[in-house]
Amino acid sequence: MKIGFIVNPIAGMGGRVGLKGTDGVYDEAVNLGAQPISSEKALIAIKTLIDDYPEVLDDIKWISCAGSMGKNSLINAGINEEKIHVAYASDSFDAGKTSTKDTVKACKHFVDEDVDLLVFCGGDGTARDIVSMVKKNVPILGIPSGVKMHSGVFAVTAHAAGPMIARFVKGELRTGDAEIMDLDETLYRKGSWKVRLYDTAIAINEPTYVQVGKASFAQINDDEIKNDITDHIEEELDNHSDTLYLFGSGGTIDYIANKLSIENTILGIDAIYKKKNIGKDVNEQQLLTLMDSYDNIKVILSPIGAQGFIFGRGNLQLSPKIIRKIGIDNIIVVSTPSKLKATPVLRVDTGDEALDKMFVDYEMMLVVIGYRMSRVVHITSI
Amino acid sequence: MKQKTTAFFKDEFNDLDEKGYTWTIRRLEGPSKPHVTVDGKKCIMLASNNYLNLANHPNLRKAAIEAVEKYGAAAGSDWSIAGTMDVHQELFDRIAEFKNTESAVTFQTGFAVNAGVIPQLAGKGDILISDELNHGSIIDGVRLTKADRAIYGHSNMGELEKVLKEASKKEYRRAIVITDGVFSMDGDIAKMDEIYNLAHEYGALTYVDDAHGEGVLGNGYGIGKEFDLEKEIDFQMGTFSKGFGGFGGMFAGSEYTVKYAWNTARSWLLSAAFPPHVAAVNLAAMDVVEKEPERVKKLWDNAKYFKKEIESLGFDTGYSQTPIIPAIVGDSKKAQTLANMMYDEGIFALAIVFPMVARDKARIRNQMNAGMTREDLDTILRVYEKLGKKLDLI
Ligand SMILES: Cc1ncc(COP(=O)(O)O)c(C=O)c1O
Repeated sequence: MKIGFIVNPIAGMGGRVGLKGTDGVYDEAVNLGAQPISSEKALIAIKTLIDDYPEVLDDIKWISCAGSMGKNSLINAGINEEKIHVAYASDSFDAGKTSTKDTVKACKHFVDEDVDLLVFCGGDGTARDIVSMVKKNVPILGIPSGVKMHSGVFAVTAHAAGPMIARFVKGELRTGDAEIMDLDETLYRKGSWKVRLYDTAIAINEPTYVQVGKASFAQINDDEIKNDITDHIEEELDNHSDTLYLFGSGGTIDYIANKLSIENTILGIDAIYKKKNIGKDVNEQQLLTLMDSYDNIKVILSPIGAQGFIFGRGNLQLSPKIIRKIGIDNIIVVSTPSKLKATPVLRVDTGDEALDKMFVDYEMMLVVIGYRMSRVVHITSI
Repeated sequence: MKQKTTAFFKDEFNDLDEKGYTWTIRRLEGPSKPHVTVDGKKCIMLASNNYLNLANHPNLRKAAIEAVEKYGAAAGSDWSIAGTMDVHQELFDRIAEFKNTESAVTFQTGFAVNAGVIPQLAGKGDILISDELNHGSIIDGVRLTKADRAIYGHSNMGELEKVLKEASKKEYRRAIVITDGVFSMDGDIAKMDEIYNLAHEYGALTYVDDAHGEGVLGNGYGIGKEFDLEKEIDFQMGTFSKGFGGFGGMFAGSEYTVKYAWNTARSWLLSAAFPPHVAAVNLAAMDVVEKEPERVKKLWDNAKYFKKEIESLGFDTGYSQTPIIPAIVGDSKKAQTLANMMYDEGIFALAIVFPMVARDKARIRNQMNAGMTREDLDTILRVYEKLGKKLDLI
């Protein structure tokens, strides 16, 4: 199995010195005394892999980058040099200053080499750079080392990344949709800290098991479950043909919409009436106008990113005013069980404290996890 | 259609085998009791559901033999057509008396009750509310319904209340909360009083699977007696195959509930009655539970002693509250190794591994038996101590 391995050597440096990231502010970070941390995190992940799962090492061919962008960490952790193929070298390392361009170029090489998994060490910014190149062609796994890690592609800790790599190599893990989130730079420059949904990617996750024999379990793939959820939603739409449905963002909702042949914007909010898209990628104002014409309105959402947000990440169009108008009882949350396992609580960050509190007081929501099948999930704010 | 032979099952089987999902059948040579011979090796039995040591009880044996003499070897027909004999009817009535319900009926197995009855209790416009750790037969029954289904976290009453509250906002015709009485992986007991109170408050019905509670809880009468809810629980299912040392499933409740159940459950309507001597054995079992109350007491004494001692060795027994006492070892491979080493030492126990339980909660499941002596328990504990140290578990 070929694993692409890339370290963003400057990721996370801004955090300790109070910056909201290191993208584009490297010099400032260094002047403030920032130290590199990502190579250390990469080392932890690979060392855990070597120590706890020696049996998989022979099966892995590492496709990496020269020096601090990858190879150094692999060698320092104890990976045999023969197992490493350097696919990319940049001139900017010496200064310790790699850039977005380097990440993207390296990923291009990984794609050309046909890697089976891309492991990176960095934060949301690095994830975005990578996905802009590899799209949904390669599953990615992040060793968390950034300042911001809202995307759903990161292992919980650097230590936890080791076993995930091993289990993927052994065929025990599956791939599924994940969202790539990052700070909304435009809003940030205006002084507000909002995280936006930028893209969707393929991550690796724990499969969903169903018991078939007493000790035998079948893994159901995510598409099968999403088909069940689609059947559920289709029935919902059919039973309420007088209701306006707002389709949220992210891969799960997009999958459902596609299955139902409803046009949908993966990164935006769409208005659906009688199974037809009557408002594509609508903003808050358009939504308010639309909503005036309908008595019954429901919204269908899927938790977004690593923290399970249903409001406040990736769907700011659904403003507090709109959420209040829809009402908590008209919110339908859907999720595959494997995604719920990774984000066992739902969160809201609507920017309106009273509204957030209403959700927090609600304590739990029923999340649709299959056809006519739901389960209780706790909800909280940030 | 490309596949013309069954050859590919060889690959599928090998695939299962590689993942460790296949069973090696261990053969018992002789009756099931605390001391058994398994594949030629003398062992202490820690893996049977024969909690009260009734499977080889002289009264049960005698009842079987006499019934064979009187009724022959088999029932000869489906329950519904010509297979229900007077001894079966006697059993139905005796169960109702034993469980203190209006009525009762038997099914081939407990599995046939859950998989056959549950789909009949709820349909479109209803909701079934199920604990996440319910037995596989409940899960199958629930899957077969057209009702909405909601799952709450294991024994999490806050979550159960949330589902009930949400359900009460919708126009459901009926809601049924379904739970195991004793959960067979952890040996913990459902909070039946709270479940009943919540269900009652929100107008829902309750269904309990008493498979591991019969002969164990409520002085042997089961979970209804334990919580003083015999008349309140709407649907009680159980089995004679565990604590009672017999065989076959049962379903008890109000007269019309029971009549409705056997008139609609396909696993009852389209399947043969169990043999008459099985009914006679089950009748004898209930008599013994009543006449020899010291058995239930001994079972609990054994459970208390074993739990205390294995914990003092340093093993985690999780949430156990019953004679099902897990020794949690963590890693699946280690649990399997421990079970194999125990067998070599003459202890027959089952390793329960991922994904039956969480990845870091693999365990040996120890099932107590009223027929075990203090000496047996000490022998088992010594083996745990020795192997636990060897495998670095304690
Ligand atoms: C909780 C539970 N319910 C039902 C059953 C099935 O009972 P039976 O063996 O009679 O089919 C079992 C047995 O494995 C069980 O553990």
